[in-house]
Amino acid sequence: MKRSLYLSLLTLGWSVLYGQDCNLRLTGHVHRAGSHENLVAATIVQTSTGKTTASNANGDFKLDDLCPGAVTIIISHTGYDSVSRTIQLTASAHIDVDLRPGVTSLQAVSVTGSRSRTNTGFIKELSAGELDEIKGGSLGEILSRMNGVSLLQTGATISKPVIHGLHSSRILTLNNGVRHEGQQWGSEHAPEIDPYIAKRITVIKGVDELRYGSDAIGGVILVEPAPLLTLPGYKAEADALFFSNNNQFVSALLLEQQSKGLPSLTYRVQGSIKKAANVKTPDYRLNNTGLSEQNFSFTAGWRKEHFNSEIYYSRFQTELGIFSGSHIGSLADLTKAIAAARPDRTFTGENTYRIARPSQRVRHHLAKWNTQFDVASNRFTVLITGQYNSRQEYDVVRNTSIETPQIDLSLYTFTQELTWEHPRRSRWSGTVGASAMQQDNSYSGRYLLPNYRAYALGGFAIEKWVNDKWDLQAGMRADFKSMKTNRLLAGSSTLVNHQFAFPTWAASFNAGYKLSNTWKINTNVSATTRPPQVNELLTNGVHHGTGTYEIGNINLKPERSFHWSLNSVYTSPNKNWQAEVTLYRNDINDFIYQQPKPDEPVLTIRGAFPKIEYVSADALLRGMDLAVSTSLSRAIMLSSKYAMLRATNKRLDDWLIGMPADRIINELSVTVPETATLKDNKLSIDMQTVWKQSRVPSSRFGQQDYKAPPAGYHLINAVLSTTLQLAKTPVTFSLSGRNLLNHRYREYLNAFRYFTDERGRNIILKIKLELKHTSN
Amino acid sequence: MNKQNFSLGLLFFAASVLLVSSCKKDKGDEENEEEVITTMQLTFVPQGGGNTVTYKFDDPDGPGGAQPLKDQIRLAPNKRYNVAVQLLNKTVTPASDITLEVAAEPQSHRFYYQPAAASNIIVSDLDNDGAGIPLGISSVWTTGAPASGSIKITLRHYPGNPPNKAAGDGADSGKSSTDIDVDFTTSIQ
Repeated sequence: MKRSLYLSLLTLGWSVLYGQDCNLRLTGHVHRAGSHENLVAATIVQTSTGKTTASNANGDFKLDDLCPGAVTIIISHTGYDSVSRTIQLTASAHIDVDLRPGVTSLQAVSVTGSRSRTNTGFIKELSAGELDEIKGGSLGEILSRMNGVSLLQTGATISKPVIHGLHSSRILTLNNGVRHEGQQWGSEHAPEIDPYIAKRITVIKGVDELRYGSDAIGGVILVEPAPLLTLPGYKAEADALFFSNNNQFVSALLLEQQSKGLPSLTYRVQGSIKKAANVKTPDYRLNNTGLSEQNFSFTAGWRKEHFNSEIYYSRFQTELGIFSGSHIGSLADLTKAIAAARPDRTFTGENTYRIARPSQRVRHHLAKWNTQFDVASNRFTVLITGQYNSRQEYDVVRNTSIETPQIDLSLYTFTQELTWEHPRRSRWSGTVGASAMQQDNSYSGRYLLPNYRAYALGGFAIEKWVNDKWDLQAGMRADFKSMKTNRLLAGSSTLVNHQFAFPTWAASFNAGYKLSNTWKINTNVSATTRPPQVNELLTNGVHHGTGTYEIGNINLKPERSFHWSLNSVYTSPNKNWQAEVTLYRNDINDFIYQQPKPDEPVLTIRGAFPKIEYVSADALLRGMDLAVSTSLSRAIMLSSKYAMLRATNKRLDDWLIGMPADRIINELSVTVPETATLKDNKLSIDMQTVWKQSRVPSSRFGQQDYKAPPAGYHLINAVLSTTLQLAKTPVTFSLSGRNLLNHRYREYLNAFRYFTDERGRNIILKIKLELKHTSN
Repeated sequence: MNKQNFSLGLLFFAASVLLVSSCKKDKGDEENEEEVITTMQLTFVPQGGGNTVTYKFDDPDGPGGAQPLKDQIRLAPNKRYNVAVQLLNKTVTPASDITLEVAAEPQSHRFYYQPAAASNIIVSDLDNDGAGIPLGISSVWTTGAPASGSIKITLRHYPGNPPNKAAGDGADSGKSSTDIDVDFTTSIQ
C-alpha cells in the first residue's frame, strides 16, 4: 500500500514533468450506420482519463492533449448502441465511427442511467460480472453487496434492501423502467421482482430520480435488463445453481433473437425457477423456511428509423414459508421465546421442501408498452403500464380444515407517461414529462389496511449542461395524489371512509467538477416529499410478528427530506489504487416512525398488547461510504468497503431504531493466469465485519425493543471461478462459500434475531452456459 | 411521416387512459377474521343442586375498538362446581362456537387453570384428549373459605405437525402459543 502510494506519487511527478509529450490530437466523425446521416451531440469519452467531448453539428469531434500509445474511446448517442474503439496513437489521427440505432434508447431509464452514470451524486452499480457472482439470491441480497446498502430481513426467506438507513416506501424500485407498485409497506414484504431479468442493477440519488417520483427520499433502484439484440442472430443463456445450506436449486434460461427476414423485430424470453428446503443455522435447521419461486418474462421490440416500440410482460410468483417457531400468540409468548437461547425442538430439525403455515403466496404481473419516436430531433416517449399484485398470507390456524388465506390483498396499478427530450443544443440537454397513475386495492380476511382507490398526476423537468470540466444538472417535479379509502367493519354494517389529498414536490441540483483527469468531485442537493402510506394512516390491529397492537394516524403529514451529498473519486495515474468517498446528510422533517405507548396497553382475549402508534418527528441521517482498492501486483488486488450511518430523532434527541450498524468488507482477489482452455480464473476471499449496533433509542419514552442488539460478527466468504471454452461455447463454473467458518451470529436488521441464529455455512455451485450466433 | 408518428402516439396515449379509467371494478368488502375469539364464557353448575351461574370475558368487536367486558367470578364457599367453557366469535352473525373447533382437534389444544393461592379455589378433573393428556373444556372447581383472589385461564394451541403435546407441558411451553390468556378476579362469599 505504502509502496504503491509512493509509486503513484512518483508517476504523478513523472507525468507532470514529461506532460509536454502528450500533445497528440484525435479527430473523428460520427454518423449513422447505413444512412450515413451526421450525428450531432454524440458523447465521446476517453476511458482512461474520463476526458469527454461531444460531436458538433457536422458530426465531428476532436480530443486534444493525448499521449502516444493505446487510446480507448467510447462513442455513445441517445438512440444508438455505444461503440468502443482502441487506436494506437503515434501521431495525430482521424477515425470514422458508424453508430447503429440501438434498442437501448427504447428505455428512457437506461439512456438516462448511462448518461448520468458519471454525473449523479450518489450512484452505485452492480455490473453483469458482479451480478453473476451473487446470482441466485433475492433482489435484496444482491443489492446488499453495494457499499451503503444493507439488508432488512424477516427470517431467512424475506429480505429487502435498505439504502443509507431507509427502506420500503422511502425507496422507489424501477423494474425495467416501470415504477414497481406492490404491497411494499411492511418489513415483511419483499420486492416482487426476479433478479434474473437484470443485466444491471443501479442505485441512484439525485436529479434523475425526479423522472420517477417526488417521493424517493432514500433513492431509486433501477433493475434493468440487457438491451435487445441489434444484429440478426440469436443468443441463449442457461444457468444452474445449487446451494448446500438449504438444498436450493435455481435454474434460469434466456433466449433472444433478431430474425434475418424481419430485422425490425427482435424478442427475448426469459424464465427462472427456484426451489429451496429449510434453512440450517450452525446448530439447528429451521422448520418451514422453504421457498418456491417461478418467474417468466417476455420482451419484443419493433425498430424503424425514428421509431421504436417495445412490449414487455413479466410474471413473478413465489410461495415462501415463515419459520413456524416465530408465530407468537401473546406478549407473554414473545417474551418467553426471546428469553430462550434457541427455538423449541418442535420447530427445528426438519429437512423438507414442504411449506406449511405460516406462509405467503405472492404473484406480481407487469405489462408495459413503450413507444419512442423522433419529430425533428425532438424525442417523445410514451409509456403505458399495468401491474397486478396479489398477496395472500396464511396464518397458523386453529382449525386445520381452513384452507383460505387470512389476509388477501389485490392491488391494481395503471400508469401513463409522456416524456419529451428537447433537441440537444451544444452543451444543453433536457427532458420534460408528465405522468398519471390509477391504483385500486382491495382486501378480504383479516383487516390490515383498507380498500382504497388512489389517483396521481405528476410532471417534471430536468435540464443538464456539460463541458470538459463541469457537469451541471437541475430538475423539478410536482405530484398530486388523492386517495379514498373504505372499510366495512367486521360484524357490523358500519362503513369507515376516509379521503386524503397530498400535493408533493421535489427539486434537485447536481454539480460535478473534474479537478484533474484522475480526480472528480460531485455534490448534490435534493428536496423530496413522501406522502404517508395507507398503512401509516390506517392500520389497526395486532401485529403477531412483533407482539404489538399497531395503530395508524390519519393526521400524518408528508415527510419532507432535504438531502445533501458529496462524492469524490481519485484514481492514481498508474491506476494502482483508487479511493472513493461519499458523505451524506439527510434531514427529514415529519419523519414517520412507530412510537410505543407504554401507558396505554390494549387488552384482548390473548392478554394485553403494548400499543404502538405511527407518529412523526424530525430526523437526521448522516453517514459516509468509503471504498479503497490497491493492486499489490498485476494479479493481486486488495479492497476495502466501509459504511457508517448515524441516525437521530431530533425531537427526542435520541437514536432512531432499526438502523444498520457500521460495517466493513475487506477483500483479497487473485487473478490466476489463463490457460488455453481456462479463462477468467479468479479467486477471492473476503471478510465481512459488522459492529454491534450500540446506537439504539433509550427507554426514556417507553420500551422500544424487546432485546438488546446482538453482538457484532465476522464472516469469511470465498469465490473461485473459471470459464471453460467448450467447442466455442463458454461454460463458467463457480464455487463459492458464504459464512465458511459456520459462525453462529444474529443480525440486528433481521426481525427474527429474537428467535433464531442466522444461516450457517452455505456452499454454492454455479454453472453458466452461453450460446451466441450472429447470422451476418 | 414524423407528424403521423406523433399523432399516432398521442392517440395511443389517449386510448389507454380511457381504457384504464373505464375498467374499474368494485370488489365486495369482506372483512372476516375467521380465527378470532371474542368471548369466553364459563358455566358453573353446583354439584348437589343450586343455581347455575355464568361469567364471561366479552369483546364482541374483537381486539381493539371498544374495551372488553370482564366479569368477576363470584362463587359460594365450600362447594364443588362442574365448569364448562365455551368460546364464541361474535364478529360474525350468528356467532360461531369456537369450542367445537377446539374439541375437534384436542391433541392441538389445552386449557390451563391457574388460581392464585389466595383465591381459595382448586381446579381439578380436567377432561382429556384421546391420548389421555388434559384438554380442559370441562373441569371441577372446589371452593374453600371466603376469600378474594384471581385465576388465570389460558388456552394453548400446538401449531407443530405433529403437535407433540405432552402431559408435562407448562402453560408457557415453547411448543405451543397462546390463543386465550385472561385473568379473572375471584370472590368467594
